[in-house]
Amino acid sequence: MRTGVRNANQVRQVNPGGPRPRLPGGTALLMLLLATSAGQAAAQVDTIPGTVRHLGVVYESYVPTLAISTFTGRFGGLTVAPRVEAVIARDLRYSDRFEMMDSIPLAPGGGAVDYGLWDQFGADWLVTGQVEGLGDRFVLVLELHDVVFSEVRERARFSLPRPDAEDFRMAVHAISDDVVRWITGEPGMAASRICFSMESASGSQELYVVDSDGENLRRLTNFNSLTMSCSWSPDGSRLAFLSFASEDPAIHEMELATGQSRVLEFNRTGQPMTPVYHPNGEEILFSLADGAESGLFSWRVRENCCLWRLTGGRWNDLSPTFSPDGRRLAFNSNRLGVAIPQIYVMPAEAGGRPDLVSPYLYGQGGYYTSPDWAPSGDRVAFHGRYRRGSYHILIADVAAQGQRLLQLTYEGNNEDPSWAPDGRHLVFVGERDWGFGLFVVDTVSGRIRSVLSGVRPRVPDWSPSLASSQPPTREN
Amino acid sequence: MLHRSLIISVVAAGLFVAACGQEEIPPPPPPPVEEGPNQDSIDAARRAAEEAARRAAEEEARRAAALEAAREALTAMVFFDFDMAEIRNDAEGVLQQKVDVLRASPAVRLRIEGHADERGSSEYNLALGSRRAEAVRQFLVNAGLGESRFEVRSYGEERPREQGSNEQSWAQNRRDEFVITAGGNQIQVPGGGQ
Repeated sequence: MRTGVRNANQVRQVNPGGPRPRLPGGTALLMLLLATSAGQAAAQVDTIPGTVRHLGVVYESYVPTLAISTFTGRFGGLTVAPRVEAVIARDLRYSDRFEMMDSIPLAPGGGAVDYGLWDQFGADWLVTGQVEGLGDRFVLVLELHDVVFSEVRERARFSLPRPDAEDFRMAVHAISDDVVRWITGEPGMAASRICFSMESASGSQELYVVDSDGENLRRLTNFNSLTMSCSWSPDGSRLAFLSFASEDPAIHEMELATGQSRVLEFNRTGQPMTPVYHPNGEEILFSLADGAESGLFSWRVRENCCLWRLTGGRWNDLSPTFSPDGRRLAFNSNRLGVAIPQIYVMPAEAGGRPDLVSPYLYGQGGYYTSPDWAPSGDRVAFHGRYRRGSYHILIADVAAQGQRLLQLTYEGNNEDPSWAPDGRHLVFVGERDWGFGLFVVDTVSGRIRSVLSGVRPRVPDWSPSLASSQPPTREN
Repeated sequence: MLHRSLIISVVAAGLFVAACGQEEIPPPPPPPVEEGPNQDSIDAARRAAEEAARRAAEEEARRAAALEAAREALTAMVFFDFDMAEIRNDAEGVLQQKVDVLRASPAVRLRIEGHADERGSSEYNLALGSRRAEAVRQFLVNAGLGESRFEVRSYGEERPREQGSNEQSWAQNRRDEFVITAGGNQIQVPGGGQ
């Protein structure tokens, strides 16, 4: 079963002619690719239009099993080792890329790894770690073992911040992302944060951030006003957002290191909303509603100049999102009717022709909003509903122009998806019987976990990777 | 004495005319003139003064009520159907009253604030709120009022009037609110006879 299936590309492959791959027990989820077609959709009342046709069922053909052996300590490192191990174990579980075997003690006496034993446990990969005290600092020596080939695949030393330092957890998250990259060759998302808005204790709506694992929730703004639609800069150092703190609603930009924010002055009437950064980090694209017209405008934040209109008209264009190469954008528009907003894709230049990617059918209605372009570049996530159905998270293939959709949620109402930097997970706001919360869905396995519950978050935006630029010392 | 009561009457009448114009009967005639000061004339003058003051107070109250009604007409909310920004039939009467007060009160300026219920996306509801505010602005401008007297703003779904998640609350939350941004002390009652 395990032989040879090692790298990410192979894992992702669906081999139509080959044997039916194993579905991991308990996580099996049929991912239905829905194809729209006008005739058949008419018969449905409130499900997302389309034929429920099984174009492909198995996404997750193979999930390797990863074991973590209890981290050890030297020179006083034992006090920190369990904390480091707990963070890494949970991060790897949340990566949804492995079947996890946690905290398995090493063979008595320690010493060499008994690969035969781990193989009998069913592990494909094994992570061992040792925390060494170094004065008041600590170093984690981490090893990734390939159990099948009975060898150490990676070995690296990571210096850790002081355990009581604010960046301690984030530094450990970055190590988890390194492990994910070692095994799969793909980016992780443990070292990241999610920004959203929420009502504060004093009743105003402020911006908050929380780490990707739901820890470290804190408030960012204290405008005592309505603040929403935060958007991370591509380097994770700044946030753009809408605030009603000044006399008129305005786009603000905040420097996260200092907490200082400033108002972007466009010298133009109308209400701005839904800012988003260009992948170059130097431009902000936003919607401006003025009179009966609205449109998407770009603004160069570094130079503080040059308002430039990309599209617009006697309707609302809003919630823009760039493709990762910055050459195209997706946005939400009600140009077909106020009650039937749709998702469009167009070249990121004035006069570009917008194409639908939401499943609009003439005369059939449908409400689709809040697009977010995937880091992989080929898909756009959004949410929507058909007629009086519930709101669900959907992903459209950009190339298929609304003809191929993947539905990710089936319970409650679900809004405002935003992609994780790993290009695989989405955060969204979910409404359940018991209330609202922030959820993360793995778009590959369909697994959903709660990040925050019992609060009413709005319009989350997932940060880019916040792993520090300092690479670990690798030892091979 | 005589002089004073006359002055009071005249002032009262003047106030009255200024306030309500033709709607009411004119003030009472001045009390009969008598020779020299005596108790009767003093009493009569006092009664007349009291009567005039009472009427003045009444008129003032009536005027204040009319003014309050005009102010309420300006700030009365209008409501919308789900996912729609079209002016409903039941909103036209409310808006026509605003037009009347705004015509009579050229100094008054309004901010029209559009709101949405909680369903749908937060960001799209900002756009929906701005369309609802804009629809009312168009109505007022089409009625011949100057565009510069209105600004529009949308709060989307973020400032509900009612917290419930049911149609009754949602219907109350799909609305335009009106804030007087200038000329609040210069509101004139429509048909006030200027």
